[in-house]
Amino acid sequence: MNNSPSPEAFLSVLDAHKGILYKVARAYGKTEQDRQDLIQEMTLQLWRSFPRYDSHYRYSTWIYRIALNVAISSYRKEKHLDSKTEPFSKHILEYVDSKAGQDNENAEKEEQLAQLYAFLDELRELDRALMLLYLDQKSHKEMAAIMGLSESHVGTKINRIKTALRKKFNQK
Amino acid sequence: MELQALQQTWSRYEEKLEQVLRINHQQAADIAQLKSHSLLGSMRPIKLFTLVAGVVWVLLLNALLIAGFSTFHPFFLVSMGIQSLLTTIAIFVYLYQLVLLQRMDLTQPIVSVQAKIARLQTSTLWVTRILFLQLPVWTTFYLNDAMIAQGSTGLWIFQIGITFLFLVAALWLFVNIRIENKEKRWFRLLFQGKEWTPLMQAMSLLEEVDSLTREAQKS
Repeated sequence: MNNSPSPEAFLSVLDAHKGILYKVARAYGKTEQDRQDLIQEMTLQLWRSFPRYDSHYRYSTWIYRIALNVAISSYRKEKHLDSKTEPFSKHILEYVDSKAGQDNENAEKEEQLAQLYAFLDELRELDRALMLLYLDQKSHKEMAAIMGLSESHVGTKINRIKTALRKKFNQK
Repeated sequence: MELQALQQTWSRYEEKLEQVLRINHQQAADIAQLKSHSLLGSMRPIKLFTLVAGVVWVLLLNALLIAGFSTFHPFFLVSMGIQSLLTTIAIFVYLYQLVLLQRMDLTQPIVSVQAKIARLQTSTLWVTRILFLQLPVWTTFYLNDAMIAQGSTGLWIFQIGITFLFLVAALWLFVNIRIENKEKRWFRLLFQGKEWTPLMQAMSLLEEVDSLTREAQKS
């Protein structure tokens, strides 16, 4: 990739992987404002890193690394980007339909999702990252590349988290 | 419930997100235009004020020490010289940590990046330790020839006692302000409050990273 990437190419990659940003922000941000701040910071960091994108990795690996690194280390931020200040007066990720986010057409599935997020919230930061990757059905190899762990270590950790998850959902 | 069913629920959720979410291209492009996010601009006003006040204090103090070098009493010169030196070191260490944090490569794997960030964040403890070392000089800077020549025994017992107490407290804090003591009551008292929350969170994350590293070595 050349040193002056086009904003269009960046936006196209961002568009194709917007779900990752949303899921990571929802897993780590406590309030809606926190999540929007996280999405802004992730977008900024992705743009800054875009010229150094290593094509040996999939875009999803690259985006997961940055999004998770931003989300996990958000405690260190001195100040969130001020959403009241232009040009950040609107959200980067928006619902096409304002009611779509609260779509209740399948209440049971919504309940399961809420439980899954509640379970994620109980996990420590790094375990939460692994759990997100597991739910996204990433291979152990990709999880290892994102996390910087060996595949066998990922396997061990995932088995532990799965046991906890099973226990949690069997209690319900 | 089967884990596979949960994964399927998640997968359908992902499909739904694809449909209902859209990127606000204008907003994203505006963010993309923001090529440099200044270090000082990212700091909280109170921290920025403290930093600026520290720099101004050191500059004024140094100017005063240089201007009055031949007239000030050696106790004042040495005490304030030590104070200025320790404050300058603390400011440089703090700024260096901020610059390293700002330059962190977030495209690297999670565990290594988080370990680096948490270690840098917890090294803020060094700034506190250095600043506490100043304690004794605040009990010596005002000593002068008249006090030395005419001071009563009571005054000297009080003076030496206070300086000794501050010296012991400074050295004790310098040695004991360490992550290992983070669960101790005095440590929690010293570092309570919102300003210290990131430091406490960094210490917890560091524990998580270290435990992960130990597991990795065993497996």
